[in-house]
Amino acid sequence: MISLRNLYKRFGAQRAVENLNLEVAPGEIFGLLGHNGAGKSTAIGMMLGQIWPTRGEVYVCGHDVTVHRRPALQKVGAIFETPVFYDYLSGWRNLEILSHYTAPTPAKRIREVIDWVGLTGREQSRVKTYSHGMRARLALAQALLPQPELLILDEPSDGLDPEGIHEMRQTILRLHREFNLTILLSSHLLNEVEQLCTRIAVLNRGEKVFDGTVAEATRRQNWVRLRAGNFTLAVEQLRQAGLINGDRDREFISLSNGTGTDAVVRFLVGRGISVFEIAPHEEALEDFYLALMKPGAN
Amino acid sequence: MFFYQLKGELWKLFGKKRTYLGFLMLLLAQLLIASLLRFSPPAHRSLMHTVERSGFGPGRYLSMLTVATVMVVVLAYTMLPLYVALIGGDLVSKEAEDGTLRMILARPVSRVRLLCLKWLAGSIFSAVLVLLLMLGGLLCCGLFFPATGGLFVQIPGEDLAVFGFAGGLEHFLLAHLFLIAKAITIMSLAFMFSCFNMKPAAAAILALSLLLLDRILMEIPYFHDLTEYFVGYHLNLWQTLFQEHIPWWRIGESLGILFGLSLSFLIVGTTVFQVRDIKS
Repeated sequence: MISLRNLYKRFGAQRAVENLNLEVAPGEIFGLLGHNGAGKSTAIGMMLGQIWPTRGEVYVCGHDVTVHRRPALQKVGAIFETPVFYDYLSGWRNLEILSHYTAPTPAKRIREVIDWVGLTGREQSRVKTYSHGMRARLALAQALLPQPELLILDEPSDGLDPEGIHEMRQTILRLHREFNLTILLSSHLLNEVEQLCTRIAVLNRGEKVFDGTVAEATRRQNWVRLRAGNFTLAVEQLRQAGLINGDRDREFISLSNGTGTDAVVRFLVGRGISVFEIAPHEEALEDFYLALMKPGAN
Repeated sequence: MFFYQLKGELWKLFGKKRTYLGFLMLLLAQLLIASLLRFSPPAHRSLMHTVERSGFGPGRYLSMLTVATVMVVVLAYTMLPLYVALIGGDLVSKEAEDGTLRMILARPVSRVRLLCLKWLAGSIFSAVLVLLLMLGGLLCCGLFFPATGGLFVQIPGEDLAVFGFAGGLEHFLLAHLFLIAKAITIMSLAFMFSCFNMKPAAAAILALSLLLLDRILMEIPYFHDLTEYFVGYHLNLWQTLFQEHIPWWRIGESLGILFGLSLSFLIVGTTVFQVRDIKS
């Protein structure tokens, strides 16, 4: 559905995106993660033909968006962080104006979408009277009007309260379930990505540092929590014996291939080191993400 | 589809309160000028003397058409350029500043088409503004001066002319029709700057500054032989419609130049906009 090939973008001397390769398959909910300025919005801008790549190719729905903008974006809907509209016009008029840039849209279709997002009764009010949550719904409505196959969401939960975030999350899942949409989601909220996405890519300073499933990210390394009488001594002896290949935070050890926790306990107790707790540890996406962001982690 | 999209652009333009604020201010200015010319004794006397000094009877020529023409000459140099430049400067820059441009450009519409739509909407606005200037002038002056009197015109730099009511009205309407060309050219200049990465006010100020510079150069006596090279000379084509024998050749020439300028502004603006990155 989306294919970015050897994509580069520079703003003057500033490097925004560096050799980005990305594939989003039909039906996926794909998460794009990264710190502020990591290049997520620039990458999305290039997918929508709003930002010209310095080098590389951007294919959306099978078409090069820089050359064949119309067919590439015909079945695409997009929502950006802090949705903005023509505040002095009604919600209905906004939808009419925006949808006509794709194709003439019958009133019946606008009515359907307004019902779907739950804005019925407020569609004739001026947008300046809308709450942030209502604006988010209107943003969703304008994205759904062209009956998209691909939905690009650039930090859609930005500025929403916890109820709003929960509602947005449920809506994304509903969209995926009911319309089988392919969704590209850029977000800062790691738990949101963890709950929604099947695959993720992590950007750091314009470069992709991880691309894989959420499961792969959280079980990337075989970490074990160890509480021992003397953690430093235990680690030193386990390393010498070749039973572990790493440790961190004076709490976790990474077992060598073929080593089980029972062997570690036997080894330590045999050398007079008390073991109070040992248990496999599955990393949260947050731990994985923070580890990736550390300098030199890539 | 073009019609629907144009309708949308017009909704955006005419849905704003400040668009009507401009119209209202124009009407207020006309009302103020007309009432001062009628009820302020020194102003009324001065106007009467101007007509009399030229050998014409104020009873016949101190009319709605004469005063409306006095007003349009002033407003066409001041408020009209200001309002069309503000609108032209807003058309692209304001949407880029607000972020709505990003919403539009997430849709399968080409940038060239989008700019053509916006330019067309700006041109329609310019035409509407001139028509309101004309109607407002007739309305405000009709309240205080005889509606059916003749037209006495004395525009600086142009020959003095007098017409009966029917002839005067014809010249008055024609002058406003060609004033639209001036309004569209100024709007196009501001529109071009609006396509660059700058604030809406900056686009309008740049356009007005260039027009002012052009006017200043034109007023320097040593540049008199170069008059035809100044944009101001061609922007003033509408004034020649008040001459007894309308110089159609000169009007055709100026219209062609203004059309060429507007088209050039549109092409430059579109080219700049086409290569721009639209970011949040």
